[in-house]
Amino acid sequence: MDPLEAIKVTFFQECEEQLSELESGLLAMEQGETDSETVNAVFRAVHSIKGGAGAFSLEPLVRFAHVFETTLDDVRAGKLAPDNNVVKVMLRAADVLADHVRAARDGGVVEEARSQELAAALEALNGEAPLAPIASEDLDDMPGLEFIPLTVSDDDGFGDDFGFTPLSAGIIDLEPEGPALRRWTVQLRPKNALYAKANETGLLLRELKRLGDIQVSIDPAELPRLAELEPEQAYLAWTVVLTTDRSQSDIQEVFEFVDGDCDLTITADDVPSSLPTLDEANIDEPFDVMALIQQAQADVQAAPAAAIMAEILAAPAPAPVFAASAPSIPAPLAATAAAAGVAPDAAHGAAAQQATIRVDLDRVDRLIDLVGELVINQAMLAQRVTESGVPRSSNIAMGLDDLEHLTREIQDSVMAIRAQPVKSVFQRMPRLVREVAAMTGKQVRLVTEGEGTEVDKTVIERLTDPITHMIRNAIDHGLERPEVRVAAGKGPEGTVRLSAAHRSGRIVIEVSDDGKGIDRPRVRQIAIDKGLIEVDSNLSDEDVDNLIFMPGFSTASSVSDISGRGVGMDVVKRSIQGLGGRIAITSRPGQGSTFTLSLPLTLAVLDGMVVSVCDHTLVAPLTAIIESLQPKAQDVRAIGPDAYVIAIRDTYTPLIDVGAMLGYRTTPLDPTKGVALLVEGEGGARAALMVDAIQGQRQVVIKSLEANYRQVEGIAAATILGDGRVALILDVDNVVAARRREKARSDAKLAAAG
Amino acid sequence: MTEPASASRLQLIENLDLKAAASLRSELLSLRHMPLDIDASNVQRLGGLCLQVLMSAQATWAADTIPFAISSPSPAFQEALSLFGAEDLQPYLQQG
Repeated sequence: MDPLEAIKVTFFQECEEQLSELESGLLAMEQGETDSETVNAVFRAVHSIKGGAGAFSLEPLVRFAHVFETTLDDVRAGKLAPDNNVVKVMLRAADVLADHVRAARDGGVVEEARSQELAAALEALNGEAPLAPIASEDLDDMPGLEFIPLTVSDDDGFGDDFGFTPLSAGIIDLEPEGPALRRWTVQLRPKNALYAKANETGLLLRELKRLGDIQVSIDPAELPRLAELEPEQAYLAWTVVLTTDRSQSDIQEVFEFVDGDCDLTITADDVPSSLPTLDEANIDEPFDVMALIQQAQADVQAAPAAAIMAEILAAPAPAPVFAASAPSIPAPLAATAAAAGVAPDAAHGAAAQQATIRVDLDRVDRLIDLVGELVINQAMLAQRVTESGVPRSSNIAMGLDDLEHLTREIQDSVMAIRAQPVKSVFQRMPRLVREVAAMTGKQVRLVTEGEGTEVDKTVIERLTDPITHMIRNAIDHGLERPEVRVAAGKGPEGTVRLSAAHRSGRIVIEVSDDGKGIDRPRVRQIAIDKGLIEVDSNLSDEDVDNLIFMPGFSTASSVSDISGRGVGMDVVKRSIQGLGGRIAITSRPGQGSTFTLSLPLTLAVLDGMVVSVCDHTLVAPLTAIIESLQPKAQDVRAIGPDAYVIAIRDTYTPLIDVGAMLGYRTTPLDPTKGVALLVEGEGGARAALMVDAIQGQRQVVIKSLEANYRQVEGIAAATILGDGRVALILDVDNVVAARRREKARSDAKLAAAG
Repeated sequence: MTEPASASRLQLIENLDLKAAASLRSELLSLRHMPLDIDASNVQRLGGLCLQVLMSAQATWAADTIPFAISSPSPAFQEALSLFGAEDLQPYLQQG
């Protein structure tokens, strides 16, 4: 990545942080916390985004942020009271601002009408007439941005507009007469995957159209006759001649989301002579930045500062050079600024900021892998020492204990680097709820719990889509309209509850609503209409509920904005399964539905009970085990040929023979000869797992089976034990749930035998 | 272009996205070998997959030398056709 792109990436990362600051600040204001600290934090967030956006010439973003900032400034100055109404407008404005940021980053477009409507609403608040395009002095009063020691020259006509623009503006300066129109030929051949992921060629073309003039021609050469046509296969290809003043990377950004899902070539039809030395594909090459900096060095007296700057720019790690906000200026830059004798505010702000670094994820991954190996190695060493008969009181054994302690601490700390609270996902939901509620005309209250629950970053990244979809569903299909709710004796406002918690070494996320529940007759009818089930199939309520996960089932008769990209619950289920997770639904007519996602905390360590079953070593997550006991013959009752229950303190609990279930043995284990582990699965379902013997408790490093082999029923993951052998980690929830299936299977076997 | 009185009419639905492609294809196939008049007045969204189906249908009808027309296209439908550069379908558009 070239330095400027890296800077831009950092800018957008910081924008996300600012946006979340903004949202939480506004929500605090909504709760009545309108002290100057909160208001200032909100103001600073918008201000920083505007400043950074100015540096990258992201015009629409700057324009909107400016209007927003003006209103906030009035609040800050006490000219405008932040009453509920005002905060509500601001919350919506924050949503639009977030859209602008994302549009600028991903090359999308913000709905102009919505942006203007909000801008007008904001302006109405501060009683101003709609603003003309921002004059340059409007943007000058940015305390955090007066960082222009490297301004190339004063006559470039750019440097003063946005406080700090010399880098981006300077590159454009290499072209003497400013950006010229160029003609590009974009050849686009979508693959099936593009459509399958609910992307759309039309939207890509629309994006291109936004960049400039387009002439589109279609290549139907591969399009078959209707009888041979597969409706979801991509046949058409497009050639777009685009005339624009934008760079190739701008064009490429349009296709960012469909990267790999289409064949794409972008070629320039003519190369302007003013750029002879530049690789047209990479106008922002490091080379040019360096040249620019050298030029700058000649102009700037603080040569050491420029040298530091050059170093920062040359370094591969992203450096937030845009320095939009005082609090987020990294130390080296602040030093640069101080050395150049400018922006004392910025330097001051840096001192107050808690130091953080951004680290390449690959490095963290490697560290985690290595620590995992260390833990395994330490366990092996401990085992060898024990086997060699060294007394427990010896120095070696004691040293090993210390080592084990240390290893555990290292592992915890390393995992903590990657683990992130689900807050980052949950935080996006209030906005979604507001929007969907507004679109459907329903009143919705979102309650979130367990935001601090940590899960690995890789899981978090893939949680947003399923959760978004489930919440949309809950509001769109689950909750009733206010008048219907009142008629049903409920309050007009529906509640959607989103919660996260750790359970059995997994993260469990629940989305529940207090709406009407699943309309089972309708679901059943739809499934019959769509040919998913037979007319006379005999289904339990639970089976009917689960029909909504079937591919091809979608209760929405029309795909609205709410149901979003037109994907059904089957896609949600698949994406959860792709993460090694499960999804379950419980629904009560008139009282609401609950979707439960259970996902592994990938790469986590696990405190497990090591047990043996038929010469195999298995690990049961300690968190799932309530107690272990030795069954007595009189406590065990047979309730079928292969099925037993055990009486534990007056309650009958299903007894599951783990060896038989996993296929390790064919004749069932005599319950009195083994040990039963009483476990609790999701939703509180209990079962007693029969194993041969308990070996002990141990911390194990989870090695994903899905990644190395494939998902196995009843097994959550694997680990490597101290003696170097692989042990499988039981998926307790799945085992408890599988009992019913197992029973059905043995019934079938029996029927076949009889 | 005058259409025979016996032309079958097919009313296109509002949202021709990826989910509509399969049913659109089978609806069109069931009308094969008959003069066809497609009513595009309701279309609000036209996606690439349904565009393929329509273009393929047009080519199929042309190969069968049977009349094929798209009548009263909605502004959104027309806009989508021009955005896609789907010139092959333009001549079959009939206003009104």
